Amino acid sequence: MLELYDQIQEATAVIRGAWDETPHAGIILGTGLGGLVEQIEVRQAIEYEAIPHFPTSTAISHRGRLVCGHLEGLPVLAMEGRVHQYEGVSLKQITLPVRVMKALGAQLLLVSQAVGGMNPYYQPGDVMIIDDHINLMGDNPLVGVNDDRLGPRFPDMSAPYDPSLVAKGLEIARQQNFVAHQGVMVAVTGPNLETRAEYRFLRTIGADVVGMSTVPEVIVAAHCGLRAFGVSAITDMCLPDSLQPADIQEILATASVAEPKLRALVSGILADEAQTIHSSRKI
Amino acid sequence: MTGQSLAMQTGEAARAIRQRWAEFPRWGIILGSGLDAVAESIVCEQTFAYADIPHFANTTAMGHRGELLCGKLAGVPVVAMRGRFHLYEGHSARQATFPIRLLKALGIGRLLISNAVGGLNPHLAVGDVMVIDDHINLQWRNPLTGANNDRLGPRFPDMSCPYDRSLAERALAIARAENFVCPRGTYVAMLGPTYETRAEIRMLRAIGGDVVGMSTVPEVLVAVHAGLPVLGLSTVTNVCSPDMPVTTSGPAVVAAANRVQEKLCKLVTGVVTEG
Repeated sequence: MLELYDQIQEATAVIRGAWDETPHAGIILGTGLGGLVEQIEVRQAIEYEAIPHFPTSTAISHRGRLVCGHLEGLPVLAMEGRVHQYEGVSLKQITLPVRVMKALGAQLLLVSQAVGGMNPYYQPGDVMIIDDHINLMGDNPLVGVNDDRLGPRFPDMSAPYDPSLVAKGLEIARQQNFVAHQGVMVAVTGPNLETRAEYRFLRTIGADVVGMSTVPEVIVAAHCGLRAFGVSAITDMCLPDSLQPADIQEILATASVAEPKLRALVSGILADEAQTIHSSRKI
Repeated sequence: MTGQSLAMQTGEAARAIRQRWAEFPRWGIILGSGLDAVAESIVCEQTFAYADIPHFANTTAMGHRGELLCGKLAGVPVVAMRGRFHLYEGHSARQATFPIRLLKALGIGRLLISNAVGGLNPHLAVGDVMVIDDHINLQWRNPLTGANNDRLGPRFPDMSCPYDRSLAERALAIARAENFVCPRGTYVAMLGPTYETRAEIRMLRAIGGDVVGMSTVPEVLVAVHAGLPVLGLSTVTNVCSPDMPVTTSGPAVVAAANRVQEKLCKLVTGVVTEG
């Protein structure tokens, strides 16, 4: 992991050269949250190819650029498009942007993704605020010699998703009158979807939804000391005893149903942060 | 696994040890966190820094020194590893288990492995010692992946009983005679280095784990492959309770740690001298 430090410095320098503000939050836009960018007052957009060491995305429906701007009055960095483990990229490279966000001064990581719902009480188009996760990706971005400048050797994982942000997210959903669940996400490598037997297995071990991302980024956020808020859009239901073949067009259509809710949560969390910063300045 | 070169590397490392220490060890001992008292009761005849042993990797873990102690424990010739290699340090499972191949080449007849673990089973308390009865490999890696060298062991090692029953019985008998609690249980190995989330702790308990750690399983897989009987001892250094945060006090932890040293010394010395 010792090579990461220099990579972070190089990537940070390029972003700093294009945009000199200190971001309050980093945002990772998964499938279905791409539209949030329209709400950002964009100051600068940098293609991933232009940032040294940034992994580049090949997935459907993912663009590859870093949007720098303002949302709810706060400076933010948003990743439009992300790279997944199933694309053949190491977890260390996938999570480098999170470390860059931290190096640029961010305090908060807001991460979204599309998932399959396994909890039978969930519905397609619902959102779930991630309370906790299970890592079944077969790897960990922190494997290797630890660089103590970046974080501790053995990070605690008793609350990788900030409990106060989870509570705030649930409150925003109640106020705006939409359903938001609180649950456990399991991350698998993919790229194949799960078999019926695998869905039964994942449900048995305690997961409510299954996805192919987010966990590596949140592990690194915990390692480098970023508060994390994760939200999942349930784009299809994975009930093993009435399982339908997955249809990517239908999944993207369902994602667009969930998208306004994801936007409301991300904007609401940032608005609350802005208010907290504002009132503390007054004192 | 280029089996041929593994055998050659092992031979080279073994010759380096033999040049300075000619005894035939009966036991190999892997000293995990907290076994310093056992290390101190070994009468050392030779010490090898890992850096001086051909083909050894370097340890990076906190609280782990990297040296091989050759000497006598209660009169029995032993080779003890002070410090071990973890997969979370970035070592391949094969590199991490190279020392087991070396111990086998030096002629040990039995292997004693110790580790520090988190307790999943609610009956376990900080300071308990558990005899490992079985394990679950959730590290996503296996040191035997690759072409098999049939001289080192079989292609498909049986795992019906990776931990030797009679050695476990012996340890349990010592604990009874010394009047301390010592249950048997299942060790789950995770890759780490992150500690487990609450959801992961619930999963590990649900699938049958009693304790969770980040080592041991690769070493045991190689020991079984090499035909070595294994005794595994786990020390519970924290309790994983996902639904109720546990508060611990400093003095209680210190008292538990001291008591553990005493218990482990009795178990290790007792088992080693009996066979």
